Amino acid sequence: MIASILPSISPGTLLAGGVTATAASLWLLLPGGRSGAADRTARWLGWLLGIVALAGFIATGHRLGSVGEEAVFLTVALVAVISGAATVVSRSPVYAAIWFAMALAGVSGVLLVLGGQFLGVATIVVYAGAILVMFLFVLMLAQPAGLAPYDRVSNEPLLAAVAGAVLLGILSLSIGRLTAEPPACCLMGGTKAALLADSAAAEPATAAASGIDMLADNHVARLGGELFGRHLLAVEVAGVLLLVALIGSIAIVSRGAADAESAAARRAMP
Amino acid sequence: MLPSLPTIVALVKIGLLVGGLMTAAAYLVLVERWMAAWVQDRKGPNRVGIPLTKIRLFGLGQPLADGLKIILKEDFTPKHVDKVLYVAAPLVLLAASLAIFAAIPFGSSLPPIPALGLTGEEPLLVAPGLDVGVLWVFALSSIAVYGVLLGGWASNNKYGFLGGLRSSAQLVAYEIPLGLGLLGVVLAAGSLKLDAIMNAQASSGVWYAFAQPLGFVVFLIASFAEAARLPFDLPEAEQELVGGYHTEYSGIKLLLFLVSEFLHMVTAAFLIVIMFLGGWHLWGVTGSGPVETWLVALIRFAVLSAKIFGVILFFMLVRWSWPRFRFDQLMNLAWKVMLPLGLANLVTVAAVEEFRPQLVTALGEGWAKAAAIAVPWAVFFLGWIAAGLLTPSGTDNTPIRTAGPLDAEHVLGSRPHDLVEA
Repeated sequence: MIASILPSISPGTLLAGGVTATAASLWLLLPGGRSGAADRTARWLGWLLGIVALAGFIATGHRLGSVGEEAVFLTVALVAVISGAATVVSRSPVYAAIWFAMALAGVSGVLLVLGGQFLGVATIVVYAGAILVMFLFVLMLAQPAGLAPYDRVSNEPLLAAVAGAVLLGILSLSIGRLTAEPPACCLMGGTKAALLADSAAAEPATAAASGIDMLADNHVARLGGELFGRHLLAVEVAGVLLLVALIGSIAIVSRGAADAESAAARRAMP
Repeated sequence: MLPSLPTIVALVKIGLLVGGLMTAAAYLVLVERWMAAWVQDRKGPNRVGIPLTKIRLFGLGQPLADGLKIILKEDFTPKHVDKVLYVAAPLVLLAASLAIFAAIPFGSSLPPIPALGLTGEEPLLVAPGLDVGVLWVFALSSIAVYGVLLGGWASNNKYGFLGGLRSSAQLVAYEIPLGLGLLGVVLAAGSLKLDAIMNAQASSGVWYAFAQPLGFVVFLIASFAEAARLPFDLPEAEQELVGGYHTEYSGIKLLLFLVSEFLHMVTAAFLIVIMFLGGWHLWGVTGSGPVETWLVALIRFAVLSAKIFGVILFFMLVRWSWPRFRFDQLMNLAWKVMLPLGLANLVTVAAVEEFRPQLVTALGEGWAKAAAIAVPWAVFFLGWIAAGLLTPSGTDNTPIRTAGPLDAEHVLGSRPHDLVEA
């Protein structure tokens, strides 16, 4: 039924509807300081609207080649999107961090399905494996007594929801190009088929000239060559920047230790 | 609609691997208990045989009895825990430690089987197309930290929580020397694929344990720490530290934690063999070319399995040979000994690989090969002597006087007696 109705609506209307539903859903879901019963109703409504919006985006998106590929892609993509929403709307910081880890796992899965193996695994190593673990350490150590009141509400939920949804719309427009046929207003604008078709159509000269093939076997070697060939300066500058940050943090820590030592010495000789 | 042939092949491999790993884990526990009994000069488990008969079979029924016992135990969930994360933590840990094996080869490859439509050599690896195998292993072993951290936090118990922090700090710290050990091998082999690393060792005939002794030692010690085996088994230190992150767990959830820790040891043994001990290669036995007959495939599988079993026996023997580290010694070892040694190894390997062509032109093929092995060994002994002379790990057992009760206030940001009160 949906499939027969959807093509008759213009893509622009469809996109506007999807974006509005997303915004409303996010606004209802965000912890906005409502009272108990109202909050529960709002959350139910929010999840319902969000599922409707998501289903609309999926129904109008590009299809991948095989059913298996499609199923795997949809699974990881849904994990990423739903966990992303849950990260923003969770009431507990620790749960937010866990949902964020799930979102990263989903994104990494999407990258793996699309052929970006290095980026997919690097997402896990860098974000989920290192940065988020540090977040969790801090969250767990900093709040043994429970949540502070300002962790329970979000500031400006309406503005945040609208801004997020507008960003989603703009990205869908720019990636999906809003062509009349088939409707491409979609979260899934970045599918393999679409990306390959787009890049081939948009910049055939550069793609052919630099010999970029996303699905080639030895793409880690190619990525390395690219990074340390064309972008060598950027890599070196980033390395120096990290080194400076490291030295700065050591300087701050050692100064703190010195202060503590001198304070202890003052206490010791009254 | 039937799934395609690659999908079926992958599913079969996954089934074989998971089934084999679980069975192996059960029987390795028995081997571990036998090893403990042998070291301690007692008999060990030798009674349980076929149920309801008097046949003993050297105690080979023991894993079944152990498994049944722990599964049928009361699965008690304390009232004060965070229910969702309490259940999720062991599952995360087990899922991560099984998913690691997607990128780990468990043999060389099978010869073509035209009857089933497999025209090429079939690699014994679940995800042969994964170009980033080493990084995949690294990524999933960093996911294992979540199981530890969440288990400790969700238990809502001070001992469990501190145990979780302690273990996750250990895992995070030893990931760095582990990564440095990996990097040396990746640099020498020029690939992130584990099967390509084995092929590189087989074709040159020089295992990386001989070409990079420092990297081997660093990786070996770091993988002991990552698998939380003695002398790094602080999660298990119930005599001194009331256990670790699984203090509040019982029954099948505890079993999941213990199985995943055991799988970490098996993973570590796989990695040590594949990256440093030549994988399926053995001089004069396995050859180094493509697999053409089933005999070669079987021999290579047997060689790899035997090596892995040997490394696991080494793990078990070490368990009864060294005392446990104190936590500060453990951290000092990671940051002040292993990290510099790992870096030294990396620089040495990079230099040797960079100047190998010049060495070959200057000295000839044979002498260049000898020099490429001699230089890392010289660095190895120098590094060993330096680490021994500087002794930053404080191996004596004098208590540390740097932290007073007031420092605890400074560090934890709360009054010390809050920690003592229930």
